[in-house]
Amino acid sequence: MAEFKLPDVGEGLTEAEIVTWKVKEGDTVVINQVLVEIETAKSLVELPSPFAGVVQRLMVPEGETIPVGTPIIAIGDSSTTEPVEPVEPVEPVEPTVTPQTESDPYLAMAEQAGAAGAADSSAEPHDSAGIDLSNPAASGSGEGESLVGRMKADRGATRRARKPAAAIQTQAAFESTGDTAPIDLDEQDESDGPAVPATAAAPVATGNVRVLAKPPVRRLAKDLGVDLSSVVGTGPNGAVTRDDVQAAHGDSGVEASGPPRRPVAQGEREWREPIKGVRKMMGQAMVRSAFSAPHVTEWVTIDATRTMEFVERLKARREFRDVRVSPLLVLARAVMLAMRRTPEINSWWDDAAQEVVHKSYVNLGIAAATPRGLVVPNVKDAEQLSLLELAGALNDLVEIARSGRTQPAEMSGGTFTITNVGVFGVDSGTPIINPGESAILAFGAIKKQPWVVNDEIVVRQVTTLALSFDHRHIDGEKGSRFLADVAGILEDPASALLY
Amino acid sequence: MATEANATQKVTLAKALNMGLRKAMEDDPKVLLMGEDVGKLGGVFRITDGLQKDFGEDRVIDSPLAESGIVGTAVGMALRGYKPVVEIQFDGFVYPAYDQIVCQVAKMCFRSQGKTPLPMVVRIPFGGGIGAVEHHSESPEAQFAHTPGLKVVACSNPVDGYWMIQQAIAHPDPVIFLEPKRQYHADKAELDETATPDPLFSSRLVRQGGDVTVLAYGPTVKTALKAAEAASNEGTSLEVIDLRTLSPLDMRPVFESVRKTGRVVVTHEAHVNLGMGAELASRITEECFYSLEAPVLRVGGFDTPYPPSRIEEDYLPDLDRVLDAVDRTLSF
Repeated sequence: MAEFKLPDVGEGLTEAEIVTWKVKEGDTVVINQVLVEIETAKSLVELPSPFAGVVQRLMVPEGETIPVGTPIIAIGDSSTTEPVEPVEPVEPVEPTVTPQTESDPYLAMAEQAGAAGAADSSAEPHDSAGIDLSNPAASGSGEGESLVGRMKADRGATRRARKPAAAIQTQAAFESTGDTAPIDLDEQDESDGPAVPATAAAPVATGNVRVLAKPPVRRLAKDLGVDLSSVVGTGPNGAVTRDDVQAAHGDSGVEASGPPRRPVAQGEREWREPIKGVRKMMGQAMVRSAFSAPHVTEWVTIDATRTMEFVERLKARREFRDVRVSPLLVLARAVMLAMRRTPEINSWWDDAAQEVVHKSYVNLGIAAATPRGLVVPNVKDAEQLSLLELAGALNDLVEIARSGRTQPAEMSGGTFTITNVGVFGVDSGTPIINPGESAILAFGAIKKQPWVVNDEIVVRQVTTLALSFDHRHIDGEKGSRFLADVAGILEDPASALLY
Repeated sequence: MATEANATQKVTLAKALNMGLRKAMEDDPKVLLMGEDVGKLGGVFRITDGLQKDFGEDRVIDSPLAESGIVGTAVGMALRGYKPVVEIQFDGFVYPAYDQIVCQVAKMCFRSQGKTPLPMVVRIPFGGGIGAVEHHSESPEAQFAHTPGLKVVACSNPVDGYWMIQQAIAHPDPVIFLEPKRQYHADKAELDETATPDPLFSSRLVRQGGDVTVLAYGPTVKTALKAAEAASNEGTSLEVIDLRTLSPLDMRPVFESVRKTGRVVVTHEAHVNLGMGAELASRITEECFYSLEAPVLRVGGFDTPYPPSRIEEDYLPDLDRVLDAVDRTLSF
């Protein structure tokens, strides 16, 4: 409950007569509603209410002359019709108080502000606590202005309605980014425009932007030894959350309160991991490919010793000093060359259109194992790149993939894929064709093995190439020729001069 | 409301400061008061009310309207062994004395290699909210906190006012003593003159909470506490710290709180740009980086001169703006 004290109406006057009450007890008043008419020595003045609420009590009868500062009306909270509290008997500011003078506008302001501010917290009348508020020795600043009704009523500890815009914006930011299905495969495959995840309401970072994560999450990642760049963020704008880090750590999550992980029952013999993100995408792609394109896989085992020697010579060259030169580079270049003779390898069976799509460009995909799972970014227009350019492109691509920052655009539009399973030490395999392509080449491990040269067994660097192709439009002859051409170049890089 | 001497009594900030000044003058005959209208009138806010009557015109001195002269004179007095306490009538009047404060008050002790400490207090009623005209509602604290050699403190309530003014006067170095004028005649608090006060240069946890830390000083402490109350109705628990000292800053309670909540809102009436909040945010980021769930947010005056009183309530940080910031920090 707030009390309104007779204010100094700005003329330095010290007292006023209550002439007419414009409200009565029980009335609901709003701010600035006229409460009372008072008469000072100079004029008749209407006082607006600084408070909103229900009039609890009129504390001064009409016709009485009272000093400035005397509480005249009590106004309570309109929402609660609380009984009138036993207010201390109005202490009509001791009659001995000498009146305020014209020098006191600021004192009055501070008092009025104090009264407005304190109104919510105490019902007791504010007197000046023994300080003599009057002083006739005033020098008079004359700066007083009418403050009546100006002080905003104190609402106490209540809050206005939230500004909807801000609230919605925040909410929207969460909603639009909270769901993280990262990439819609269909969209990715078929749009050759800049592929942006369907959910990306916020701009998706491109290039080498730091992973988004709050400082405590960074700390957690550091403590757990988790590389943040390898974690798929599920938070707003793709930020890595605490749960993401814990999931990446393989920690079953003391705090994994969020839905992603089901609590593991005691004596856990199996547990469930949600299929999402890169894993989900690859899974769908593999199923579609494996059960729509009839795969044929052929393989050839070759002596790659000359390729290894060639790699060593390349490494020694100045222009290659800044790139990583590997047998994969030679293979990639060999594939580009062999495709000139067998371009069907680079085409695509468009089942829906009942057409074979031939392509004059090669977007060479390189399957890369990353902590996020398998990703297949591709080198655009790889057939036009020189060996050195190709080396640089492969370098960038692998680096970005390993750091988990491969962008959707870099993974879409591939036309042929090399999967370098040799890095895992295996000889080869039967790779599954990437959707949208017609062939995939697996590159096995290069190992020293016994090899027959001129009817003698010698130690050579041997590897196995395996090619899976879509037998709907690539028959055995074309597939075999392509594989043999690639093998030929690896066996003798100089034969590349023939293409 | 006469009360027994020595018993606890409920007093306003104005009364508490008056009592504190009186106590300091009784305890130390070297303490002098000086300022515009502080004598006969007792100051425009009556903070020095009755002191000239009781201590005489030699110890409670009505000065000319010349702030530079007031502070400059006090420097001389302090050099000669007095402990002057000067009142700058309003925050916005301090600038004529700014040169004296920055070039003399702040530097004297350093200039003399510590041989001439300068025990003096510059009392400044600061902040807005009383509907005053230009120059009467400013918050210049950052200007002083930025100046090496000055101590800057701000009281927020009657009990602190009583103790802090005495501690500031007793302190051997110059202290800029900021008083929230809006609070002068507002809430009363129970003052026990026999209690042991907290050290002058210490901040204080005034409300415990777990979700967001709100830092405030002077007039915004009350704002923060009200915001905390409103937030608790919404299920958000705010921890409120009354900084009390702005230079030096007492960061330890702040760091402890931030390590607990991970979220901070700083509120002051002064402009946000390069204000105390900026320094607090910086220190918090340096010390508590890995605890921060959200950037430190500031709620303060806008980057305009203090507005006419008719719209000052829109300029001053209030409960709603503090809680909006709380919402924002929680949305990270």
